[in-house]
Amino acid sequence: MKQQTFQAGRRDFLVKTAAVSGGLVLGVDLSGVVLAADGSTKPEVTHWVVIQPDDTVVIRIARSELGQGSFTGLAQLVAEELECDWSKVRSEYADVNEHIRRNRIFGSMSTGGSRSIRESQEYLRKAGASAREMLVAAAAQEWGVPAAECKAAKSVISHASGKSTTYGKMAAAASKREVPKEPKLKDPKDWKLIGTSPARFDIADKTTGKQIYAADVRLPNMVHASIVQCPVFGGKLKSYDDSAIKDAIGVKRVVAGDDWVAVVANNWWRANQALRELRVEWDVGESGNVTSESIMTFLRTGLDATDVPVARKDGDAQAALGTAAKLIEAEYHAPYLNHATMEPQTATAIVTDDKVEVWVGTQNGEATIAAASEAAGMPLENVIVHKMHAGGGFGRRGPHQEYTKQAVWIAQKMPGTPVCLQWSREEDMRQGRYRPVALVKLRAALDADGNWNAWHVRQADQSIFITVRPSDIKDGIDPVNVRCFQDNPYAVPNFTDEYAMRNPHVPPGFWRAVAHTHNPFFRECFIDELVHAAGKDPVEFRRPLLKGKKDLGVLEAVVKAAAWDKPAPKGVHRGIAVVDSYGSFSAAVVEIAVADGTVVEVKRVVVALDSGYVVHPDAVIAQMQSGVIWGLSSAMHEEITIKDGRVEQSNFSDYRVLRMSETPKIETILVPTGGFWGGVGEPPIGAVIPALGNAIFAATGKRVRSLPFKNHGFSYKA
Amino acid sequence: MPLRHSRIHDIHVASRRRALQALAAGACFFIARPATATPDELTAALRETFGERPITRGKVKLTMPRLAENGSVVPVTVSVDSPMTELQYVKSIHLFAEKNHLPRILEAQLGPYNGKAVVSSRVRVATSQQITAVAVLSDDTLWSAAVDIEVVTSDCGL
Amino acid sequence: MGAAHVRMPESAKRGDVIEIRTLVQHPMESGFRLDNTGKLIARHIIESFDCTYNGREIFRARLHPAVSTNPFFTFYAVASESGELVFTWKDDQGGVATATSRIEVV
Repeated sequence: MKQQTFQAGRRDFLVKTAAVSGGLVLGVDLSGVVLAADGSTKPEVTHWVVIQPDDTVVIRIARSELGQGSFTGLAQLVAEELECDWSKVRSEYADVNEHIRRNRIFGSMSTGGSRSIRESQEYLRKAGASAREMLVAAAAQEWGVPAAECKAAKSVISHASGKSTTYGKMAAAASKREVPKEPKLKDPKDWKLIGTSPARFDIADKTTGKQIYAADVRLPNMVHASIVQCPVFGGKLKSYDDSAIKDAIGVKRVVAGDDWVAVVANNWWRANQALRELRVEWDVGESGNVTSESIMTFLRTGLDATDVPVARKDGDAQAALGTAAKLIEAEYHAPYLNHATMEPQTATAIVTDDKVEVWVGTQNGEATIAAASEAAGMPLENVIVHKMHAGGGFGRRGPHQEYTKQAVWIAQKMPGTPVCLQWSREEDMRQGRYRPVALVKLRAALDADGNWNAWHVRQADQSIFITVRPSDIKDGIDPVNVRCFQDNPYAVPNFTDEYAMRNPHVPPGFWRAVAHTHNPFFRECFIDELVHAAGKDPVEFRRPLLKGKKDLGVLEAVVKAAAWDKPAPKGVHRGIAVVDSYGSFSAAVVEIAVADGTVVEVKRVVVALDSGYVVHPDAVIAQMQSGVIWGLSSAMHEEITIKDGRVEQSNFSDYRVLRMSETPKIETILVPTGGFWGGVGEPPIGAVIPALGNAIFAATGKRVRSLPFKNHGFSYKA
Repeated sequence: MPLRHSRIHDIHVASRRRALQALAAGACFFIARPATATPDELTAALRETFGERPITRGKVKLTMPRLAENGSVVPVTVSVDSPMTELQYVKSIHLFAEKNHLPRILEAQLGPYNGKAVVSSRVRVATSQQITAVAVLSDDTLWSAAVDIEVVTSDCGL
Repeated sequence: MGAAHVRMPESAKRGDVIEIRTLVQHPMESGFRLDNTGKLIARHIIESFDCTYNGREIFRARLHPAVSTNPFFTFYAVASESGELVFTWKDDQGGVATATSRIEVV
């Protein structure tokens, strides 16, 4: 379904006072009647649903569509209970400015942590149920019959007596009714829409090229900007010399900030070319000598430190390790990674003396409106945010809104002129918010029978929370970084997890699956080392330790689908791993062939997911497939390295990601056991990397303990 | 969103118990203080400052943005409806947080010489929470206003 | 402590209520921030700020760690007589900053 169209003028959502007829009082002094840009009224039946006279149902979406399907899935949650005609449903982003004026009525707009469905499902289903009850009650009242005698299905309300009407006809009356506090929700076994895969609202336009992204916005008199920020993080702009571009065609002006400088021109190419000819001098600050090696040395001080916060302590691992029949020790490491979203960071802004309007592919409309407000020095109420579908989010576009602020600052210098700021690919690669480095030392004990009875983990890694949510760090422990260890599911009696925070100057960020991109690799590959030291099978080794846990369910699912109990075909080697994250459970088997001891060909990946419930199976399968690709890409290829305090990589030529031709056969198994709502966007990733690492060991006898695998002499066959 | 009721007169027992449990569990290397104050600590701070005197909603206007990007520089204006004459003026203004590390943010002493009981500053809001302003008038009555602020980056990642 | 800035009218009519804006540079290190190895950075904050008008106090504030870096205050005063306003900031390590501003009251 088409999103927003852009006309020359601006679009304002006006929420009138209760004086307008057909208004729904929601407990705050605002009506349920919203004026459309063309002046027509659209009755709200709860603030989530607008029903038009022709039975079109508009469902407001508070989160962001990043390609993960929330624009459709969140609407399914509402529509299931609403009992409307799905063929007339369309989604629309809840207007961020209106959301603020109505005291944050749409709740959280944050799209991350695999939370959109599971965090919204209760209030969205309730909204759909409430709206249905309001519509039915309005019809019942008109007919003078009890509401309990009426039925609602496919936007039609009917009564046994033969009376019938539609949602479109009853919407105005329904919108005046009080919203039921505790509407009755369906039992999951009665779901008709949830659990099916209707055509997604976003895919057709994205496939045909009709989809408009932030960089596609075209407004009269628009100009374009390209920017460069100090390549050494923490440095400042010293000076720039624009003499070479003074007469350059199309160049309008140069705008500078504390640590950045931008060129504005009549098209982006000219802006970027001129930017390259700007002679810029930076004061690189304290970190001009930092390298990947010096960062590793810094992390290592965390492994060697004596007084380190303890995230978990069961039994006495120290004693058990001291008396172990067999002691296994290893160090594992993971590098910085870039989100490398297909759409580089982009924002379009217009600033006038009393208003700011921005177009951004954001993961959080509230983060964008707050950033634009602060950058412009204007109240939130004066800021309009047009949420665009993002060309990939993966955690890059939520809490980090610097491109939004930059667009506003540049636009402030040219009041009334729309400015489209687009980072070059190089800038996007070098000014990321990177998946942080991590170094870990693991030690474990096996008893005489090869049973795992103790382990000790010392983590040394970089905190993301310290930059965005410092108040959630307690006693020096970043609660996200210790996941997978501190909350591991294995019933091992003696376990200590210690966490040494080590924060280099490179700015960190939430990279899809966050700590579940490296900690599972560390854990599940180390366990594989124990398995082999004990001379056992990886599944047999894990089964008793996961007794009663849902992890076992997905493990058994991949065991069955990959025929793990039978020998692999000749030349094929397998690895397995199981990881729970973001409320869901996942396992993977990776099958590979290795030629000449170094050329890895991934033949098949079998991945299982138990997310409790599944709203849109096709979307979940797509998330599992993309999760496999995400995992394989970083396992084999991806690495951000630091030299002279700056990122060395510049583009996809030197930051290698998985290509379509390298994508293996992927088999996905959905194992929704019900009774809980787990995430889907990130959980499928955790088990993929260690399963590949374990397959490489099975094939070559070589244990790789750091990522990416290309650094160990492995290449990848398409 | 439901309207927030006044927190000033509530005593939260549950959070104190939770805090004690956290201290008892496991060997924590460093306990300077819990990372955030609890509504308990706010109640204690109010009692310490104002004793048992009742605090009434009204007369005070607390202006802060509804959303803050990261909460490190949040503009705040406290203004009190008062003629600021020798007989009727605002003696002091106090600003409190319920979920910062410490409950107190700032206090300002005023008098008729100010002409207007308006003070603006810029403050740190550690996480999404309610901020409260209390004004003490020359007749020793206490008045308050509170606003909810959502700190956007505290709702991300995870 | 760094530079202190005051912005207020140079002259006013007797009885006018004038706006006074103040800013001083100071890190306002809260004592709750962690360094790059997760250890607490020691507190270092301005604790008091006051303003006198021809020697009489017309504003006094107590600052706690939640006041932002580079403390900013705006307050008001009745322009009663010509003279000097003196602004003083004191931090918890004995640091002191002052600024003065003259006003002509007609």
